[in-house]
Amino acid sequence: MSQETIKQPYKIKSAKLMKELMGNYFLGMKDKTKKIAWCTSVGPAELLRSFGFEVHFPENHGALLGATRTATDLIPEATKLGYSSEICSYLTADVGSYLKKETPLTEHYGLEGPPKPDLIVYNTNQCREVQDWFEYFAKEKNCPIFGIEPPRYVDEVSNEAIENVAAQFKSLIPLCEQASGQKFDIDKFRETLRLSKEATDLWKKVLWTARVSPSPISFFDATIHMGPIVVLRGTQMAKDYYITLLKELEDNVTKGIGFLEAEKCRIYWDGMPIWGKLRPMSELFAANNAAVVASTYCNSWVFDAFDEKNPFESSALAYTEIFINRSEHAKEKILKKLIQDFRIGGMIFHEAKTCFSNSNSRFGMPLRLKNETGIETLVIEGDLCDLRFYSEGQTTTKIETFIEQLS
Amino acid sequence: MSKYYQGIDIGSSYTKLTVIDETNRICYQDIVKTMNRDKQELANILTKIKSDYNIVSICATGYGREHFKDAHINKTEIYCASVGVSTLFPEAKSIIDIGGEDIKVIKTGGDGKVDDFYMNTKCAAGTGTFLIEIAERAELPLARLSELASKSNFDKELNSFCTVFAKTEIMKWIFDEVPEQDLARGIYISIVNRIAKIRMDKTLPIFLIGGVIQYHPFLKTIVEEKFQQRVVVPENPQMINSFGAAILAKKHAESEIKIASKY
Ligand code: SF4
Repeated sequence: MSQETIKQPYKIKSAKLMKELMGNYFLGMKDKTKKIAWCTSVGPAELLRSFGFEVHFPENHGALLGATRTATDLIPEATKLGYSSEICSYLTADVGSYLKKETPLTEHYGLEGPPKPDLIVYNTNQCREVQDWFEYFAKEKNCPIFGIEPPRYVDEVSNEAIENVAAQFKSLIPLCEQASGQKFDIDKFRETLRLSKEATDLWKKVLWTARVSPSPISFFDATIHMGPIVVLRGTQMAKDYYITLLKELEDNVTKGIGFLEAEKCRIYWDGMPIWGKLRPMSELFAANNAAVVASTYCNSWVFDAFDEKNPFESSALAYTEIFINRSEHAKEKILKKLIQDFRIGGMIFHEAKTCFSNSNSRFGMPLRLKNETGIETLVIEGDLCDLRFYSEGQTTTKIETFIEQLS
Repeated sequence: MSKYYQGIDIGSSYTKLTVIDETNRICYQDIVKTMNRDKQELANILTKIKSDYNIVSICATGYGREHFKDAHINKTEIYCASVGVSTLFPEAKSIIDIGGEDIKVIKTGGDGKVDDFYMNTKCAAGTGTFLIEIAERAELPLARLSELASKSNFDKELNSFCTVFAKTEIMKWIFDEVPEQDLARGIYISIVNRIAKIRMDKTLPIFLIGGVIQYHPFLKTIVEEKFQQRVVVPENPQMINSFGAAILAKKHAESEIKIASKY
């Protein structure tokens, strides 16, 4: 288009600080004196940190492989090993990266690859794929592994479920003690959980600033700024970062500065980001003055239930009540509330080819929500990492028509 | 000096152009291959349009819309289809656009606003590409497919969603010595059955547009049989999106004038 100038969305200034923080996090992995634990993104990070482990999150590496668009070349390596190209592309990209000995961590942080684990821990609260993924590496790295297996797809979390999961957390302790060489210290655990709770509360406030119009933060911004809450929760650094970010956003709310000058419509994003297409996606919505203001994905690291007074039970509840682990009915209830709170006009469901658990369009939810709430819904097909499942032209047409429909 | 408005629909196979005047009358239409390495043909047409008409606004649509630098606005082909058909037929309807690489089903009121839409994206089943590939495998001349199908009462379809699988399925028909008119009708039934799997408001009349219906008019009969609805094929169904784009170019120009006159 020659005569329409596209305005660039507002750039969040705290991003610079976040880059530094994330850089230091990765560089910290070089410290050979530190014990390293691998953990799933919604696994028991606080418990691990209380033993002094540096925590590496393979999903974070998967997202990096996606964002740098290296995943698509790496995935076939895992496929040759017998992993279907239709299972989790974090898994296949990460395994492919390991087999090919190629990772963007080298270029960005001078690391040969993800740090060698002393302990591997997963929680199947998000999916079963993590179990297979982490077991592959436990075998490769000859490393002890522990899995937490909570009840899945729960409507509400029962007391029995909390007890069950809390007991599993506790039975992880001996392994942690062995691998870290440190005795379990309940006060350290409480302290880590307190820090994590403070950071997650701040993160929620950050995300909830988007309830106003114009919103100071987009879903696409949030996928970047969620870095610390995923990999550094339980540390003072994460908490401090979100104090800074929240201040910037709240100031912008006061001044009426949104990431878009004017919002033509407000959209909710369900499902995973398409990591390799974040920027063009963000630009596509911005060019059409469509504000993507909320998402299931970024909300996944809001843990309301953390309570240092009951560290085991509250962690068990927090990590079992996450959205991805809920029944269709419970998910719909949560979404309906968010649609109201964020004054959403349309909802985009990203059906990620390789992530069944994070694709909520497969059991008729878009149509049910449309009928029950009156919002418009759209399903787009793509993937978190594997761009072979994504058609830019077709998706752009769908999204632009959808925005047209909402306006 | 009279004002004219241009719509250009850059599809995956063909680029379609329409020029309208202030009364929405079509003054000029043309079509060229999109992937023609020789860009001169399109350039010549554009030069001719420029010299013959006082074009005040251009709207580009289709997959290539972003690349047409002279456009004042660009809009999706779904919106343009809806506007184009609704300008000619201002009534509530379903529009089925069968293109080279996808099928689009659009629900729209009389005003051209898109109420709902669906695109099959992941595979070629039911699209122009499917038709070409299967007909080629069956050694049926594309140009005669419609005529052949009209002579048959065959009622079988190719079940597979996948074009490659469908090709092996049609091989079986050929081995079974299914006559060529039945093969032709079977291919059309497969396309329509694929469309029938898409959610659509059954109470609304159906408007068929796109390149496939332009060259395969017998599909209309199969759609009527399958959906038991009034089925309309507008004149020049392949050009309708560029016509809708021209209408939107005109609306854009009018709104610019309104803004300008405010100041
Ligand atoms: S939730 Fe999806 S993306 Fe995440 S690890 Fe499981 S399968 Fe992979």
